[in-house]
Amino acid sequence: MDWYLREVIILNNIGKSYVTGSQKLQVLKGLTCNIKEGEMVAIMGSSGSGKSTLLNILGLLDSFDSGEYILSGESMAGLNERAAAKFRSKLLGFVFQSFNLIGFKTALENVALPLYYQSIPRKKRNIIALDYLKKVGLEDWASHLPNQMSGGQKQRVAIARALVAKPKVILADEPTGALDSVTSSDVMKLLREINADGITMIIVTHEHDIAALCDRTIHLVDGLIDLS
Amino acid sequence: MFNRDTWLEIANTVLSNPMRTFLTGLSIALGVFILVVMQGLGFGLQNGVQNQFSDDAVNSIWVDAGRTQLAYRGNMPNRQVKMRNSDMDAMFQQMDTVHAYSRRVRIWGVVMEHEDQQSNFPLRGVDPDHLMLENTTLTDGRYISSRDVDEETKVAVLGATVVEDLYEGVNPIGTYLLIGGVQFRVVGTFDDPASRWENKMAYLPFTTAQSIFRSSDKVDQMILGTGDMPVASTILLSDALLSWFKDRKVVHPDDERGVRIENNNEEYERYQNIFLGIELFIWGLGLLTLLAGAVGVANILAIAVKERTKEIGVRKALGASSISVLGLVVQESLALMIVSGSAGLITGVGLLEVVSPMIDHDYFKNPQVDFRIALVALGILAVVGVVSGLGPALRAVRIKPVEALRDE
Repeated sequence: MDWYLREVIILNNIGKSYVTGSQKLQVLKGLTCNIKEGEMVAIMGSSGSGKSTLLNILGLLDSFDSGEYILSGESMAGLNERAAAKFRSKLLGFVFQSFNLIGFKTALENVALPLYYQSIPRKKRNIIALDYLKKVGLEDWASHLPNQMSGGQKQRVAIARALVAKPKVILADEPTGALDSVTSSDVMKLLREINADGITMIIVTHEHDIAALCDRTIHLVDGLIDLS
Repeated sequence: MFNRDTWLEIANTVLSNPMRTFLTGLSIALGVFILVVMQGLGFGLQNGVQNQFSDDAVNSIWVDAGRTQLAYRGNMPNRQVKMRNSDMDAMFQQMDTVHAYSRRVRIWGVVMEHEDQQSNFPLRGVDPDHLMLENTTLTDGRYISSRDVDEETKVAVLGATVVEDLYEGVNPIGTYLLIGGVQFRVVGTFDDPASRWENKMAYLPFTTAQSIFRSSDKVDQMILGTGDMPVASTILLSDALLSWFKDRKVVHPDDERGVRIENNNEEYERYQNIFLGIELFIWGLGLLTLLAGAVGVANILAIAVKERTKEIGVRKALGASSISVLGLVVQESLALMIVSGSAGLITGVGLLEVVSPMIDHDYFKNPQVDFRIALVALGILAVVGVVSGLGPALRAVRIKPVEALRDE
């Protein structure tokens, strides 16, 4: 009966401020937007526009002061640390600009880490992780440490790690920010493929080329969505 | 919580910075090592001194007579006080209960002959309780009996050295021995490992020795057993005996030489207290060393947590709960403590095991650590490990993924 795509993320009048010393800095000033399941959305904005804050709130890495955030049908208001960790591990995958792989773990172990926190047994974990490494074309690099890989390879490992727990939404913070243009387009192609499988993709970027590869772009200006 | 994955995780992080891990481990191991070795040395000292005491029964009071120092009631100083049989009898009448007693006469250098072997040895005339009061171990035959004392029998109990010198491997029990030209039958042999001196001695019945070798009713020494009397009562008893003796033998109450009474109970208790003090001191020192190690671990973990801020942030973003982050750091601390602590424990015990047989000194014996103390040390380590890991762990829990993942 749903002839339209279901909303996976609903943000309603989200406010967030930081207190630094005696100053109170209002970063998000009542932000409202919806993201539908299977969409690939770019978030753009100049530095200080609040895009990182928005990403952190979306990723349940930070709390918000007011408003409503509904993720996959459940309200995320006032979550404690534990519940947030649970939702993160169940619904969200992260890709970072600087990859954030754990240096003393192999590619395979890095990919398997989210499954470790879901208490999946080691053997099963490694089988699944290898499968995802295959998906990003790095099965031959499974036993390599991150510092033995190129930037593009590291990001692909990070993407495999974000995918391994079968999230509904992948949040990517400047996923191509540390990569050259050729690798950037490879990574974007990969993200597009993943999105084609039905995973919602939210990409924070300041590059127009990257944003252009997404379904639509949300422009943030001074803590509000620029509709112009 | 403690499954294989957790351990692999710990091993991974601990081994990712081997130098830091090694130095922390070293400080812990050193702490435990010092604790164990000091305990061992303390025990050695205690064993040594306890062994000194094992020469005589701990629950005994010794009465001796000597020369007076002070003039008293018309007597000149420097008078030799003499205890006699009649004094002993009078003393027993004064006492409610006598748990055990032995009078003693001592004769120095008596010629003892068996067949063509002869040599000079001291001898003592004693009562049957002397066996217990002197902590003598019979190796064969029997000791002086009350019948021997009553009937002045001519029997002798010989020390190990006497047997060795005069018998050359022949069993002396039942043989006859000339002591000062008088024939005695050997009824027993003894060994007093705590005193080489006593092994060069022959024990005769008190009455026999007094009448043959002393030819007077003089008694050299009196030993009283105090049984299971509390130390406080034994002190009262020895004080009462002292003033009674001084009065009877006309010795000035302040004279310290005329009559002397030594209470082994009191002496022993004094040593026990000293050892308690030493033990507390050693524990205190050991625990402080451990504490220093623990502070080191806490410090290093705090630095490690700081260094791993980003990693912990990533873990949290990937679904790590606070508990698992807490567990990661606490268990790491615990593992580090237990592994390096055990290394220190094993090294310390090993050192004592190697050194122990090489040490043979009167006041130092068997420096060993008993198993319970090793367990207690491990227990303390575990507690210290958790406690010192807790602070940094709580800090790790408070790390916000946002801040951790912010690109500089």
